[in-house]
Amino acid sequence: MSNVVVVLDNGGGLIKAGLGGERDPSTVLPNCLLRPLSSKKWLHPSPTIAASSEDPLDLTSAAVRRPLDRGYLINPDLQRDIWAHLFNSLLHISPSQSSLLLTEPLFALPSIQRATDELVFEDFNFSALYVADSPSLAHIYETSRRHVVSRGAAQCSLVVDCGFSFTHAAPVFQNFTLNYAVKRIDLGGKALTNYLKELVSYRSVNVMDETFLMDDVKEKLCFVSLDVARDLGVARKPGKKNLLRCTYVLPDGVTHTKGFVKDPDQAQRYLSLTDGALTSNLGAKVDMDHIEVTEKPEDRKRIDLTKNEFDLTNERFLVPEMLFHPADLGMNQAGLAECIVRAVNSCHPHLHPILYESIILTGGSTLFPRFAERLEKELRPLVPDDYQVKITTQENPILGVWRGGSLLASSPDFEAMCVTKSEYEELGSARCRRRFFH
Amino acid sequence: MDEDNSSPFRRMSSRTRKVAPRMVAALANSDNRAQAALARLEALENDNAGMETIEINEDDDTSLDDEDQVYMHKRQSKGTKRKTRQAKALENARKAPRTFAELLHEASLETLPSHVPSYLRAAVGPPSSTSRRHFCTVCGYAASYTCVKCGMRFCSCRCQNIHNDTRCLKFVA
Repeated sequence: MSNVVVVLDNGGGLIKAGLGGERDPSTVLPNCLLRPLSSKKWLHPSPTIAASSEDPLDLTSAAVRRPLDRGYLINPDLQRDIWAHLFNSLLHISPSQSSLLLTEPLFALPSIQRATDELVFEDFNFSALYVADSPSLAHIYETSRRHVVSRGAAQCSLVVDCGFSFTHAAPVFQNFTLNYAVKRIDLGGKALTNYLKELVSYRSVNVMDETFLMDDVKEKLCFVSLDVARDLGVARKPGKKNLLRCTYVLPDGVTHTKGFVKDPDQAQRYLSLTDGALTSNLGAKVDMDHIEVTEKPEDRKRIDLTKNEFDLTNERFLVPEMLFHPADLGMNQAGLAECIVRAVNSCHPHLHPILYESIILTGGSTLFPRFAERLEKELRPLVPDDYQVKITTQENPILGVWRGGSLLASSPDFEAMCVTKSEYEELGSARCRRRFFH
Repeated sequence: MDEDNSSPFRRMSSRTRKVAPRMVAALANSDNRAQAALARLEALENDNAGMETIEINEDDDTSLDDEDQVYMHKRQSKGTKRKTRQAKALENARKAPRTFAELLHEASLETLPSHVPSYLRAAVGPPSSTSRRHFCTVCGYAASYTCVKCGMRFCSCRCQNIHNDTRCLKFVA
């Protein structure tokens, strides 16, 4: 029978795909089609980790088409193209002889579930399908890593999945997501990138078309502030006292096709801003001396001549700040800490202390530096005193869900949990879905 | 904090402000501002932000009462080509991917009984405190003042001037 299990974490931003039982996915690729300026056709993006970029596409001002909108599949035709490319040229598998473990966002609409099933069974002819949700997979992976430590607590956890399209706080109990308690914030990496684009375009250079460039800027320069009022003050200071100013050099298309941070040391200076005012002063002094040595007048002249760079100051922390206070953007939604509290409160009271003790952060947007610290700082006052708050970060939040899927796919009961093609043909989509408790 | 600063300031100012009649109408229905805010949040989810925001602006322009007649006129002049265009548009609509909002509307989740968890019920809902920090739309720092025309925030005279020159959405917002 089929013994190859393809594990596919079909995210809105990145597809993570590989074979079940392996530790890391063999391919991570953007879930979109691109049309760079140099081309008239829509092209497949190159995978981000596997191939060492033999011919990197020039992504300047590339237009993007994504099959997923707000995390949900809206364009099955486009998704079929991308998957066909993935299975044939990247994974080299034949779908009819393998089963598929697919992640689907929570609360997928029935019409979307039907479209997904049609895609899997009718277009690709997979022999079996298992649909999982990402919080339970992240939970499976984390419990497999810490099973030695405490077996009682390992049965449930609160997964905070802050991804590309949205953010979920989902309690997981015995490998099942308690869907009545899941809370969602409609903000994710995509909205943050777009917000950064908007800010930079208005303040310095028009980058509204540069999705990939601004993704890079966001990943390299943004961080979560531990004290917004103080950091705003620091960002306002002129010249060398400003520990937060940082310069990003835009690609010029000739010598370098990718943008880069001008001075990586400068980008790290915010780390010297710690909680105590005293230590921050000390740190500032040390840093200022250091900078005075490195910065030369010639450098500054060059800035004025070539206008292909921009400075970031308060944007660096105001962008991720929106996850903690969506109200500042004009959204009528609570911040991440409150979202977690509400998710926990919708569970049985016996679970509350255990859930607060095992918060797992997953998803690419949790990679902002100091994300966990800030979350703990905001969460602590909202949680009763006698409960512990413990936040676990994954070593690779982007791949965490996939790894959980890989573990599940290699477990002995996996085959029994799947829906096979013949079952699908006999019962149809809706009946088959009941097996996954959706 | 910000709220406290801004409201006494507004009351104290004795300067008489001339407001065009159309402005009054625009200010009277706050729906416009709410709509602009919603459109902005929608724009944050766009893939190709540049192009799509322009389309939104065009839609807004055509809804202005002054231009309505011009718009109607244009539509009539296009009347000869109408059939083919409509057919094309229909064809495109069938092919084109639908947005998630449309699919959500179609699923009519509101009709489900209240204990069934669904996409709509999973949203966190409004924050417990209504306080909102305001950041200057020009420079990003704490903003004490509100633009009387469009409701956007700014922090100083300098930023106000920049705002008025570039960003103030007088009639759209």
